[in-house]
Amino acid sequence: MDTTAPAAVLLPAVAEGNISAFEQLYDRYSSTVYALLLRILSNADDAQEVLQETFVKAWTSAKMFDAVRGSEVAWLISIARSRGIDRIRSRKIRLEREDEAGRDISIRGSLVETTTGADSAIQSEERTAVRGALAELPGPQRIALELAYFEGLSQSEIAARLNEPLGTIKTRMQLGMKKLRERLQAYQ
Amino acid sequence: MTHEHYQSIAALDVLGVASGGDAAALRLHLTACIPCRRARDEYARVTTMFALALDPVDPPPGMRDRVRSCINMPSRRLNIWGPTSGATAATAATLLVAFLGWRALTEHDAGQRAQIESLQTQNAQLAQRADKLASELSALASAGTRTIALSGQEVAPAASARVFLEPERRRALVFFYDLPPNDGNKSYQLWIIRADQPKPVSAGVFDVTAAGTASLSVENLPVATEIKALAVTLEPKGGVDQPTNTRFYVAGNADM
Repeated sequence: MDTTAPAAVLLPAVAEGNISAFEQLYDRYSSTVYALLLRILSNADDAQEVLQETFVKAWTSAKMFDAVRGSEVAWLISIARSRGIDRIRSRKIRLEREDEAGRDISIRGSLVETTTGADSAIQSEERTAVRGALAELPGPQRIALELAYFEGLSQSEIAARLNEPLGTIKTRMQLGMKKLRERLQAYQ
Repeated sequence: MTHEHYQSIAALDVLGVASGGDAAALRLHLTACIPCRRARDEYARVTTMFALALDPVDPPPGMRDRVRSCINMPSRRLNIWGPTSGATAATAATLLVAFLGWRALTEHDAGQRAQIESLQTQNAQLAQRADKLASELSALASAGTRTIALSGQEVAPAASARVFLEPERRRALVFFYDLPPNDGNKSYQLWIIRADQPKPVSAGVFDVTAAGTASLSVENLPVATEIKALAVTLEPKGGVDQPTNTRFYVAGNADM
């Protein structure tokens, strides 16, 4: 896998219909996107479906990518996260309705395959910095942010989950995001 | 509201947790404020970091070919213009045939007058349909149109739908794909789950073609921010007031 080419060199070619560039895009970022989808969906089958949707979307919408607003991987992550959260929410609607009907709920297995050592587009130095920044956040701030990012919960849902006042959650999230922004500016 | 306040909203907006009013105010502000727009983009990059902090996981070996094969196929789902343009062309062709037919019939005797009138009626209907299609095409092309994807559920995992919502006109066009054809005594029914009401609201009833496709035009929608989700069930022919079962065929969150 090529991790050395500069950022934002593939999507313009993908937008022109260059399949080789698309394959490089997949090779470069699929492990990052797949890890995110496994984290969001906790289900390998769902993660693979959404991974496929994400890259098909990248193929059809590559011309929408704006390098000024962020990197290629950030764009892919944004698509994948949005679709992953959609999948969770549609699952939730189904479960709520089944709950109301007093039915048994059957969802597919939630075994998450976690492997290490997979190739990555992200320099290990950057990953270390990101993890360091997240680790420096006070636990309650990090948890609130992770519930929003990985589970797509609203502020009120997070407040209910953590049994905290809504205002407290809002403040925690704003403070946490502000700290992360300051801490990570060197890597953006 | 100060720039600092807007940037605090931006920090929540990139996570999708800003309130509807705050998010709307922010979007308006961002159209004219470069520093706040930059701050919002920086916050968006911060959220990316949550994903980048995860250990990468290689997808299964077959995934690459699976994805590759998808982009080799003409994508029916994504090419909404193809079928719709085809329908317009078909309508135009039908209009032409009907018109030529009408001319031919005028040369015959008065006994064929009824047929002429029938064709005139068809002409009018087709013209109305052409107008409707033009209006729908215009809606799809509108800058304010929002798209909502509905994904297949357990009973129809391959099914999907795409909703093109015009918030200002409170109407939507919905295109369904790969739904199992319904029996003659059943209809599919689209439901809107509203944030402000406990019970779902029917948005229309439809049948699918043998190919599993259908489209539905929905008028008089609730205000967009009140639409929490959309889902489809299979119901008795003609539809019902409330869903009779919880087997969703396609569903998705509106995420307004």
